[in-house]
Amino acid sequence: MTITRRIANTLIAGAVILSAGLVVLPHQRAMAAEQVDGQLYMVIGGRQEVSNLDPAQKYDLAIRMMNQALYDALVKYEGDPAEIKPWLAENWTTSDDGLTWTFNLAKNARFHDGSPVNAEAVVYSYERTMAINEGPAWMLDGFVSPGNVKAVDEYTVEFKLEKPYAAFLSFLPWWYIVNPAVVEANAKDGDMGKGYLLSNAAGSGPYKLKSFEPGTAYILERNTDYWKGFPYENDRMGGVIYRLIRESSAQRAALIKGEADIVTGLSPEDWSVIRSNEDISVTTIPSLTSFGLKMNTAQGITSDVNIRKALAHAFDYDAFIKIMNGEAKLQSSPFTDSVLGHVEVSDMPRRDIAKAKEYLAKTEHPDGGFEIEFVYVEGFGIQRQMGLSMVDSFQDINVSVKMVPLTWPNMVARGSSPETSPNLMAIFTTPVSTDPDAVAIQYHPTSHGKYYGTHFLNDPELNAMIEAGRAETDWEKRKPIYAAIQQKITDLQPEIFGMMRNRGTTKRTWVKGYADSPIRMEGEIDFYRVHLQP
Amino acid sequence: MGHLILRRLLLMVVMLIGLMAIVFAISNIAPGDPARLAAGPDATNEMVEALRIERGLDRPIYVRFGIYLSNLASGDLGTSLLTRRPVLADIARYFPATFELVLFSIGIAIVLGVPLGMLGAVFHNRFADHSIRFVAVSGVALPMFWLGLMLQWYLALKLDLFPLGGRLGIMTPRPEAITGMLTVDTLLAGDFKTFREAIWYMVLPATALSLPALASIIRVNRAEMLETLNKDYILNARAQGIGPFRVVAAYALKNAILPTLAMIGLRFGWMLGGTVLVEGVFDYPGVGLYATKAAVSSDFDPIIAVTLVLGASFMLVNLLIDLTYALLDPRVRSQI
Repeated sequence: MTITRRIANTLIAGAVILSAGLVVLPHQRAMAAEQVDGQLYMVIGGRQEVSNLDPAQKYDLAIRMMNQALYDALVKYEGDPAEIKPWLAENWTTSDDGLTWTFNLAKNARFHDGSPVNAEAVVYSYERTMAINEGPAWMLDGFVSPGNVKAVDEYTVEFKLEKPYAAFLSFLPWWYIVNPAVVEANAKDGDMGKGYLLSNAAGSGPYKLKSFEPGTAYILERNTDYWKGFPYENDRMGGVIYRLIRESSAQRAALIKGEADIVTGLSPEDWSVIRSNEDISVTTIPSLTSFGLKMNTAQGITSDVNIRKALAHAFDYDAFIKIMNGEAKLQSSPFTDSVLGHVEVSDMPRRDIAKAKEYLAKTEHPDGGFEIEFVYVEGFGIQRQMGLSMVDSFQDINVSVKMVPLTWPNMVARGSSPETSPNLMAIFTTPVSTDPDAVAIQYHPTSHGKYYGTHFLNDPELNAMIEAGRAETDWEKRKPIYAAIQQKITDLQPEIFGMMRNRGTTKRTWVKGYADSPIRMEGEIDFYRVHLQP
Repeated sequence: MGHLILRRLLLMVVMLIGLMAIVFAISNIAPGDPARLAAGPDATNEMVEALRIERGLDRPIYVRFGIYLSNLASGDLGTSLLTRRPVLADIARYFPATFELVLFSIGIAIVLGVPLGMLGAVFHNRFADHSIRFVAVSGVALPMFWLGLMLQWYLALKLDLFPLGGRLGIMTPRPEAITGMLTVDTLLAGDFKTFREAIWYMVLPATALSLPALASIIRVNRAEMLETLNKDYILNARAQGIGPFRVVAAYALKNAILPTLAMIGLRFGWMLGGTVLVEGVFDYPGVGLYATKAAVSSDFDPIIAVTLVLGASFMLVNLLIDLTYALLDPRVRSQI
């Protein structure tokens, strides 16, 4: 068969040439970090794209991470537990009625272009955010209006609140100060620089924007002239690269290979595997995030508090811990542990079938025999496992569970009105401040229709307590209010209070100065103190 | 010929408008509240309403469709709620990356698939044929996603032969974007080093992406070759003493390749739509990831635009294939 042999030989030769071509292509060695002119660039592998750099338009973990590096705010959250530290503002005073806040600015603060960060810039930035009315604008909505932020002198800013607001200071870390001259110079058609700041920065932060390639990587260069200096001495620390690595297998590989110095988003199972590598360490802290199952208290079968109590007592809480590989802690109150004023609620429901049946006996369905709809995020393993465990545990009180996986937009849409909000919905909630009001307000009618307000709880007594708590500015007086609020919410049982996950950051051991703070979202890193020491 | 192309192009426009209407309807009827999602989780109801009005989402669907069409006519594909950038700019960034990857993958599939199909037919039911069929069956059965992960784990992590993902090293200077396709842009700039790097970054994702297409091409080409090789004219050619290589590679292949061409056209379309899994594994910043992200955020404008662009490229490729048909087959040519 010479015909075929000749063809075969030709083809095999072709294949060999092709593969040889692939092998001689360039070959790069894995190294500690990316280097440019001897300067080290720390690579952070994360999942979330940075869709916007403007601190006034939007925030999510990736945006906040970039904003915190490029900009400064009057105050800053640091540490575990998270504390509010003076930053652009060196100190501040509050009037006795809690309405006037006066901030004294650091006189040496400079924007990246060298111009001073003065009172005028602060006023401009606050007014800009309020005028754009997106992103963080809701935080001060109804308390501070444009015109009520005034520059008293070059380095003093005064806020006049419309009514006392205890949580006021706890939101200011997310109000970043932009350079008015740069923004105005690049504003187009009265857009207040929205178009420009999407992908450019005009801040005073510890890092400067070097390049921005959407969907791939974002490169920041260390601002060696940072007005506040750095907490470490390391001249080789050149900058930070936030690189998108979406799959956990690729994240793991990048870390092992040394293509990334820190990766965020690995699961507890990954941690246990990766811990065996001595060049890699895992830092875990309990997060501020709560995971609970919100119940519709306004309509449907769960509008009966005794049904809700029955479900909460039939629920298998140990399943949470098992599903999380032990890296979780049950909530002992509607407030997670890191929230200020957290108390342990004494009668927090735990699995107790006898009690569950007692509650059920008080309802129209003393013997169960009804179905509960459980809505969760499609493709989210933890939530699905939760549902399966519930199918199992609710059998003991003769309640069946219908599991409905939905995409997040559909969940948000269903949760937006009491008519469509399901009986049970799995929700992770991360408050934006450590002030107890940030959690308490989730159970107030103003939160109805938001993703954490799908319970549609409306209890006049609780509402009054929440309003009293946010209007009082003396912490000693607020403390008992929040203890009572936690008890009250537990009594009303608008959700099956779940767990606080531990979250972990996996990094090479040459990463120094890293500290997580519970106020940051999972995967959000504050670059200020982190550096490389290979 | 010119007449045919013109008619097909006109037909394409009609089909695209139909496609757009369907996608517009589906994405707008599907539940979801884009304004609330875009405004952020903590936004007040007033902020959500303001955004809804600003984006015209409070208007009836037919009004919105009208506005969309008139904007489209002036070349405006809308603005992404998610990235707040013009969709056209986003697509100009992401689509060439995907297109380049798909071209490279289909190239691999053709270069390997056609000869392997031929080999399978020539060595019918012998060892080589069985091995090739094994490849063909695996190619259909193995999920692209899994194959990508395995390639990444073994070739990139264990053997360190290829990068884990991306289009170029992070610190590699990008060539000036002319077409958006790195291989083309680097060649235009005369930068062969970056050109090789771009190819090197594409090898793993392209291999994963090309396997299903490779398998189909092998199977179709093998079957067609088997049939053709039994035809009388092949016997005649052999009897006339024409070299065996020429008989198979020129006489038989020219007839057998036509259905394979049709398959290549189909596969090209599937690849354009199916890159998202591979893009996810290899963090390849392409249009698939962009569209998925938009879809899970009810971000309509990018969804519609991506569908249009993918639809148009699919149609164009199929037009090209039909023209190639005419070039190869005199019977088709005479009908035009």
